[in-house]
Amino acid sequence: MSQWPLLLTGIAIGVALVGALGGVVSERRAAVVLTTAGCLAAALAFIAGVGMIFGAGSGDRFLWSFPVFGSIAIGTTPLGGIFACISALVYVPTSLYSLRYLERYRPEYSARAFACWYCVLLAAIIALFVCRDVISFFVIWEIVAIASAALVAYEWRRERNVRAAFIMLAMSEAGTIAAVVAMLLARAGSGSLHFGAPAAAISQAAAWAIFILSFFGFGVKAGLLPVNSWLPRAHPVAPGNVSALLSGVILNLGVYGIVLVNSELVPVRYAGEGVVVLVIGAASALIGILYATIEDDLKTMLAYSSVENLGIAVTALGVAFVFTAEHQTLFAALGFAAAVYHVLNHSAYKALLFLGAATLDAKLGGRSMNRLGGLIRVLPVTAALFFVGVLGIAAIPPLNGFVSEWLTFQALLRAVELSPLGLRVVFALCGATLALTAALAVTCFVKAFGMTFLGRPRTPLPAVDEAARAMKFGMALLALECILLGVLPTYVLPAISHGAADLLGPDTITAALVPPFFKPTAAPNPLPSDFVATFHALGAQIGRGAPGRGWVVMLRGGSANPVVFAMSTTYLLFIIALLLAIAYAVVRLASRTRRTSRSPAWSGGLSPVLPEMTYTATGFSNPVRVIFDAVFNPTEVENERDTIYQHFRSAIRRKREDVFWSDRILSVPIERATLRMAALLARMHHGRLPAYVGYALGTLLLVLAIVTFA
Amino acid sequence: MLAEAVTALRSRWSCVDWSIERDSICASISPDDLRAITKYLISQEWRLGTIVATETHGQLELRYCLYATRHPGWVQLVIAPDRMERAVPSLTPVTIAADWFEREIEDLFSVSFAQHPRLGDFVLHDSQWAENAGLMRPGVHTSGDLSEQQREWRPKRVLEEEGAFVMPIGPIFSGDAESALFLLETVGEDVVRAVPRLFYKYRAIEKIAEGRTAADVLLLAERCAGTSAIGNGLAYCRAVERASGVEPPARAHVVRGFVAELERLRHHMTSVREICASTSLTVAASQALWLEEQLLRISGETCGHRYLFGVLAIGGLQHDVDDGALRACVAGAAALSPKIDQLRTALENSSSFLDRIERVGVVGREAARTFELVGPFARAAGVAADMRVIQPYDPYPCVHFDVPTESEGDGYARLRVLFAEMRASLGIMSELCAELAPGATRAPAAIRAGSALGWSEAPRGASVQWVELDDEGVVRRYRLTPPSFRNWHGFHVATEGFAFQDFPIVLATLDLSVAENDR
Amino acid sequence: MSWFIRGLRAGVLTENLPEGQNLPASLTPGLPRRTDFATEQEALEITSLCPTGALRAEERAVHVTSERCVECMRCKPEQDWRRDADWARFADGGPLEGAFTRSIHVRIVDAGDCGSCLSELAQLNGPSYNLHRFGIFITPTPRQADVLLVVGPVTRQMLDPLKLAYEAMPAPKRVLAVGACAASGGVFGPSVMCAAGAADAVPVDLVLPGCPPPPLAIVHALRALCGQERPA
Repeated sequence: MSQWPLLLTGIAIGVALVGALGGVVSERRAAVVLTTAGCLAAALAFIAGVGMIFGAGSGDRFLWSFPVFGSIAIGTTPLGGIFACISALVYVPTSLYSLRYLERYRPEYSARAFACWYCVLLAAIIALFVCRDVISFFVIWEIVAIASAALVAYEWRRERNVRAAFIMLAMSEAGTIAAVVAMLLARAGSGSLHFGAPAAAISQAAAWAIFILSFFGFGVKAGLLPVNSWLPRAHPVAPGNVSALLSGVILNLGVYGIVLVNSELVPVRYAGEGVVVLVIGAASALIGILYATIEDDLKTMLAYSSVENLGIAVTALGVAFVFTAEHQTLFAALGFAAAVYHVLNHSAYKALLFLGAATLDAKLGGRSMNRLGGLIRVLPVTAALFFVGVLGIAAIPPLNGFVSEWLTFQALLRAVELSPLGLRVVFALCGATLALTAALAVTCFVKAFGMTFLGRPRTPLPAVDEAARAMKFGMALLALECILLGVLPTYVLPAISHGAADLLGPDTITAALVPPFFKPTAAPNPLPSDFVATFHALGAQIGRGAPGRGWVVMLRGGSANPVVFAMSTTYLLFIIALLLAIAYAVVRLASRTRRTSRSPAWSGGLSPVLPEMTYTATGFSNPVRVIFDAVFNPTEVENERDTIYQHFRSAIRRKREDVFWSDRILSVPIERATLRMAALLARMHHGRLPAYVGYALGTLLLVLAIVTFA
Repeated sequence: MLAEAVTALRSRWSCVDWSIERDSICASISPDDLRAITKYLISQEWRLGTIVATETHGQLELRYCLYATRHPGWVQLVIAPDRMERAVPSLTPVTIAADWFEREIEDLFSVSFAQHPRLGDFVLHDSQWAENAGLMRPGVHTSGDLSEQQREWRPKRVLEEEGAFVMPIGPIFSGDAESALFLLETVGEDVVRAVPRLFYKYRAIEKIAEGRTAADVLLLAERCAGTSAIGNGLAYCRAVERASGVEPPARAHVVRGFVAELERLRHHMTSVREICASTSLTVAASQALWLEEQLLRISGETCGHRYLFGVLAIGGLQHDVDDGALRACVAGAAALSPKIDQLRTALENSSSFLDRIERVGVVGREAARTFELVGPFARAAGVAADMRVIQPYDPYPCVHFDVPTESEGDGYARLRVLFAEMRASLGIMSELCAELAPGATRAPAAIRAGSALGWSEAPRGASVQWVELDDEGVVRRYRLTPPSFRNWHGFHVATEGFAFQDFPIVLATLDLSVAENDR
Repeated sequence: MSWFIRGLRAGVLTENLPEGQNLPASLTPGLPRRTDFATEQEALEITSLCPTGALRAEERAVHVTSERCVECMRCKPEQDWRRDADWARFADGGPLEGAFTRSIHVRIVDAGDCGSCLSELAQLNGPSYNLHRFGIFITPTPRQADVLLVVGPVTRQMLDPLKLAYEAMPAPKRVLAVGACAASGGVFGPSVMCAAGAADAVPVDLVLPGCPPPPLAIVHALRALCGQERPA
C-alpha cells in the first residue's frame, strides 16, 4: 500500500495551482510561469500516473464528511493512472509550445488570464483521476468544464469564439446532469456515494437507464454522435495549444467516465449495451471522417477527425463490453487494450497536428487549405513534424495509429468467437464501417499534408521563417511520442495491462498479446517449446538483451489455428530502415555514371503556371462530397449566373452549406422546437392590459382550484 | 427585296444617304446612329457577316457588313470615327455576335469600344503584348523583341465558389491536337465553365496579305485552314472577282461547286472520325479514318492534291479538271457511300456511343441565333443558316439539295447533320457532274482597283471575306472572317456544366478549327 | 453486331509501303525537281510563276529549293515533278542511334499549322499507314518523347511553348520539321508574326518539305530519323 503516487499527485496539483497564481502576477512572465508550472506539474503527474499503474492501488482515503453527501474520498486507481499519464504526455509538450505561441495574442489578449486558466485546468484534470466519490468527481468535472470553456473563449472579442464556448458549456452541462443522475442512480442502493462501496442489486431497467444516461452524458465530452455539436465549433476557434488540449486531454475524460461507470460502478451485464457503444462508435468514426475529408479549414478538419478517432476508440470499447457481457475476458481485454491504446495514440498525434496547424495559423494568418500550399519549402521542420503526425493518424505502419487501429480491427474480427448471429452481423457491419473510415482517413490526410505543404502556394503567402525553438521542441516531443508508441507496442501494452488489472485481472492483456519470446520459460503463460522454436527460427528472439518480453504482438489460438494474428512494428522499423538503406545504395550505385538533369514540370507549354491553376483542397475532396451527398445533404445557398447585355456571362456564383450531421439530427430540431414554443408564448404577450389582467385572474382561479380540490 | 429594305431604311433614317451598289445597300452613317440602325436590321432578321476595320492616313474606317436571311442582299454600314475624340460605340449591347469582332479590332487597331464588357487579351496575348500594340495599323511592323517581354496575365475568372480553380489544358496537349489553351473552371469533378484562349497560332494572314498580289493572297486564303482550302479560297476568289468585275466561265463555276462539295464530304468524314475517336470507339474511328483516307486519295486523283490546294485561281480554275476524272471521282465517292451509311447505322445503334454524345455540349436554337453561329453547328440547333441558300452563288441556284437541320443542338444532333450533309454533298456532286459542259475554265485576269465582299459556305459554315485592291492588282486590305471564328464564340455556351471526362467529346462534336480561327 | 466483330470483319486494311519513283497522285502530289529547259528565257518564265521563290533559274536549268515549295501547282506541267515520297533531308546531326532505333515516341507540336499537316499526321495512326508497326508512337508528353515533330511556321505566340516542349524532352532527342511552313516558313513566314520555320526556335535535325507532306513521306522521315532507313 504505497501512498507516494497520491502524494505526488497532490504535489502536482499544488504546483499547478501555484502556477495559476503565479501566472496572474505578471503579464510579461506569464508564459514562462505557465510553461514551468505546466511542465513540472505534468511531469510529476506522469510519474504519479506510472506509480498508480504499477502500484497496487492505495486504498481510498476519506477526507471530510458532509451531512447529506457523505465523505469526500480520494485514492489512486490504475485506470486513473493511465489517463493521468496520457494527459501528462500531452500537457508537457503543449506547455513547452505555449512558451512562444502566446506571443501572437499580444497585446490584445491577456497572457495572465490564459496562464491562470491553463494551470487551473491542469490541476483539475490531475485531480479528477484521484476523485473516488460522486460529489468530488463532479465538482472537479465542472471546474474542468468551466476552465476549458474559458480557454476556448480566450479571444473573447470574437463573437464566434464566445458562442462556441457557450455551446460547449451548455452541452457539457446537459451531459453532466445526465451523468450525475446516472451515477446517483448507480449508488442509490448502496447508500454511499463512494465509488468503491459495494454495489447493490440493480434491476435491468435501472441498469439500462444508468448505461444510457452515463454513456450519452459522458459521450458529450468524448465527442460522440449525436451529442457532439460543440466539438467542431469549439476546436477551431480555440487558441492552437488549447485545441491540442481539447483533443488530446478533454475528450479522453469522456472515455474515462464511460469506462469508470461501466467497469466499477455498474459492470457491463448485457451485450446490448456493448452493441450501443459499438454502433455509436462506428457511426461517429464514419460521420467524423466524412466531414473531415470535405473540410478545407485545417483546424475544423482536425476537429472532425477527433470525432472519428474517438469513434474508433469507443468502437473498440464496445467490443470489450460485448465480450465482457459474453464472459470472454481474453477478447474483452483485446478490445479494451485497443481502445485505450487508440485514445493514447490519438492524444499524441492530434495534439501534434493541432500544434502544427497553430504554427501555420500564427505564421500565415490563415488555415484554409485552399489558400496554403508549398509550405514545405518555407517551414521544413514544421512540415516534417506534421508529416509524422499525418502518418500516425493515417495509420501507416510503423507509426502509432497503425498499432491501435490494427488491434481494433483484430478485436472486431474476433466476432467469430461470438455465438449469437445478430452480434456477429453487427460486428461485421461495424468492421466494414471502420474499414471505410480508415480509407477515408488516408484520403483526408493526404489532402491535409499535400494541400498544405506540397505543390505550390495557392495564394501569395507572406515571407515567414521557421517556428520558434520552443514551439518546434514541443512538437518534436509529440512526434517522438508518436514514433515510440508506434514501434514499442510490446512495452505499452503491458502498461495498459497493469492499468486494466482491476477490470480484467492482472496481466491479462500482457499474457494474451505479448508472448515472452525473449524469456520463453518465464512465468506467466509459458509457451509450448516447439511454438517458441518456430518463432525463434523466424527471428523473434532478436533483441533478446533488451528489457521486456519480446517485440511481437500476437494472439494465440487453439491447436487448429495456433496464431490468430501477429505483428511487430519494432521489427518492421528495422526492415523499413534496411530497405531504405538498400534502395538508397542501389540508386546511388546505379546513377554513378548517369547525369541527372532537372527541368521544370511540364505544363503543356503554359508558362508561368499561376497559383489559381493548381488543384484546391475542395477540388481534391469533391469526389467524396459528391459520392456521399446523401450524408452531407447540403443546402444550396446561392446559385446565380450574372450576364451583361443578356448574353455575356460575367459571373457564376455558387455556394453550398453543409450542416454537421449532429446539428441536423439534434441541435437544429431542438432549436426549432424551442423557437416555436417561444413564438407561441410570445403570442400571449401582445401588450394589452385586459389580457394580462385575464392571465392573472386565470392563474388565481387555477391556484384556488388546486388548493380546493387537492 | 433589297429595294423594299432600302425604302424602309430611308423612311426611318432619312438624313442618311442610302444607296444600292449591286447586291449591297451602302451608307456612310454617323457613329451615333450605328446602334439604332443595327438593332433595327437585326430585328428584321439581318445577321452580322463581318466588321472590317481599315486605317488609311490615320483615318479609321469601320465597315459593318450584314446579310439578310430572308432574301439575297447585304447592308454595308460605314462609320469613320475619330479615334482621338472618343471611343467607338460598341455593338455588343445590341448583338452579342459583335463581341469577338470588337475584341479583335481593339487588339489589332487599338480602337477602344465604349461599353464593351471585356476587352484585352484576345488576338495579341497580354502576356507578350502591350495593350496598344495595334499590329494591323499601317506602319506598325514589329520586330523580334516583343517576344522577349513577359507581362502579367491572369485568366479572367467567372466562377465564384469556395475552392474554385482554373484547370488549364494546353496550349500543347493531347496527341495531335491543335494548339489552344482551355481554361476549365471547376471545383473538382464537374466543370462549371470552360473558355478557350485562342490565337496562339495567330499568323497575321491579313497583315501578310497587305502588299501582295491578289494571286499570291489566294495561297494564304487556301492555307488559312488547310482542311477547308476550297471553302475559304472560294470566298476570297469571289471577293476579288467581284471587286474587279471578272466573271468566271460557266464550267469553272460547276467545277468549283464540285470540289467544294468534295471537300465538304471529306471534311465531315474527318469530323465524324474525331467524334468517334473522342469517345474511344476505336474501331469506328479507324473505319472513319480509312474512309477519310479514301476520300483524300480520290481528291488527289481528281485534282492532283489531297487537300485540293492549287485548284482555284482568280477568274476560274488554275488547271482544268477533265470530265473523266470528275466522273471517276463521283463513281469513287458513290462506291464509298454504302460504307458511310453502314458506319452511320452502326453508330446510331451503339447505345454506349450515343450515351456519350447525347445531351453533351448543348447549344439551343436561341443561343445559336443570338451568337449567330454558322454551319453544321447552327443547323444542329435548328438554325438553317447556309450561305448556299440565303445568299446563293453559282452554281448552287441551279442545283437541288436539302439543308438538313436538327433541333436538339447536342453532340448527336451535330453528328446526324454531318452525315446528312455528306449525303447531300454526294448528290450535288453527281448532279453537277451531269451538268458539265465543255468550255473555258478561266476568265482572263483583268484585276482592277476596287473592293468587294465575297462569301461562301465553307464546310464549317459561312466564310465572309472582304478585299480591297489597288490598280496593280495588289491587295490593300484583306479581311477574312472564317466560320470557326464565329463558332468558337459559341464554345462557352456549349461548355457550361459538363463532366470533366466529356471535354474531348464536347470539343470534337463542336467541329471547330483552331487554325481557321487563328488565321 | 459488336464493334469488335465489325473490326475483325473489316480485315487487314494496312498496306505495304509502296516503293518506286512513280506513285499515284492519290498518295502524293509530288515535288518539283530540277528541270532543263530549251532556253534561258523559258526557265526564267517558269521561275517567275513560283510565288515562294522555290524555283531558281541557272542558265537553262531550273533548280528547286524543296523546303520553300508550297505545291501551288503553278509550275505544272512545264516543270518536272518527282512522284515519290522520300523527301526528307538531314539538316544537322544524324539519326537516333543504339537503343533508339527500334522504338521511338514522337511529340507533335502544332506551331501554327493550317491543319493539313496535322490531318496527314492523324492518318499515320490509321489502318492504311499504321505507324505502330515500325515501333513509332505518338505520345502526349514531351517527357517521354524522343522526337519533337514540329508543324507550322512557328508563330510568335507559340514560340515559347515550343521551346518549353523541346527543353522538357530528355536527351537524346531529335527535331523533325514537317511541312513547308516548318521547313522554311512557307507562305506565312518569315513575317510579322511568323518565324521562318522551326529552325528559328529549336535545332532542327531532319527537314521534310511538302504542303502538306503526305503520310508516306512522314513515315519515311520518321524511319530515317530513327535509323530504320536512309533518306534518299
